[in-house]
Amino acid sequence: MTLIQTPVLETERLILRGPKASDADTFMGFYATERSQFTGGPMTPRQAWNFFGTEIGHWAIHGFGMFVVTRKGSDAALGIVGHWYPWGWPEKEVGWVLFDAASEGQGIAFEAAQACIDHAWQVLNWPTIVSYIAHGNDASVALAKRLGATLDEHAQQPKPETPGYVYRHPRPEGLA
Amino acid sequence: MSTQIPILETTRLVLRGPEPDDYPDFKATFTSYRARFMGGPLNAYEAWMLYAAEIGHWQIRGYGMWMIHDKVSGDTLGMAGGWKPAKWPEAEIAWVIWPDRGGKGYALEATHRVRGHFYDKLGWETAVSYIDPKNLDSIRLAERLGAVKDHDAGTIDGNHAVYRHPAPDELTGSQLAHGIEMEISHYADPLFKPKGWAID
Repeated sequence: MTLIQTPVLETERLILRGPKASDADTFMGFYATERSQFTGGPMTPRQAWNFFGTEIGHWAIHGFGMFVVTRKGSDAALGIVGHWYPWGWPEKEVGWVLFDAASEGQGIAFEAAQACIDHAWQVLNWPTIVSYIAHGNDASVALAKRLGATLDEHAQQPKPETPGYVYRHPRPEGLA
Repeated sequence: MSTQIPILETTRLVLRGPEPDDYPDFKATFTSYRARFMGGPLNAYEAWMLYAAEIGHWQIRGYGMWMIHDKVSGDTLGMAGGWKPAKWPEAEIAWVIWPDRGGKGYALEATHRVRGHFYDKLGWETAVSYIDPKNLDSIRLAERLGAVKDHDAGTIDGNHAVYRHPAPDELTGSQLAHGIEMEISHYADPLFKPKGWAID
């Protein structure tokens, strides 16, 4: 069953590929932990499984979505990074999640997010890119800053009832 | 977008995979009171996330919920198919008809068709439907489809009645199967007269 066709992005150390059924357990494992608190979790296994289905359906609906991040030479899912635009969101987002703290501190999320930002500007032709980050998610704020994004205090919130930070990625100079 | 979701047909209906264009119809029902037995009513964001998950279910399981279309007009009427999120005891046959399309036997016709597909093409040997005990319309439909309450079956969270569908061989040339087909025929053509003679 191939409902979705997803591109593969390659960086120096990583392969970013579309989500597949065999990633579901890893995804559910992450959403069972407190580590998921800034990205909608923790969730019950059934909620997390549905959410994983949503990740796939997002690709089918928009033609873009979140990639599963793997190291070259291994298909193990380290996280999901990519393009996210659910119903009602004011702007399109580049988002990132590393499933395991052990994957942090190696520039993996940075490398994957940078590739997705380039892809959004150059291939998807997005007019703007933001990253929505929950209050308290200091690691993601640090990453957004390292990516060159700046806090936009006037941007519209995706969920006004639970406001967070909106980091805006600068449009590259010379982009048509 | 490539898709390998099979298209199923009945007398009045065409069942196709859920498409992005069908979303407004899904949203209208799942943000309404109609969805009260299906985890709703949802807000617009939740409805979109669930609709995407309906599509993802196909990719993960290889089956899922079809969108029911009127064969003539192409309008969507509801959904029917198979559903098995993580941790469910077994695969469910499920259905929903948009509130303004009820009472015309569409759920019966579509669900009978998808059940036949699961049994004949995918080799399912059994199936259940998890139904809120207050959802009398769905309980009645389960019974018209020949399903009976299974008190011993595992439940999702203890809040649902489990109706077990008749096994494949109970639907082959049986009185039950003939009765379902006769009821469907009657909806399709209210003047329908069965072949043969009335016993009384």
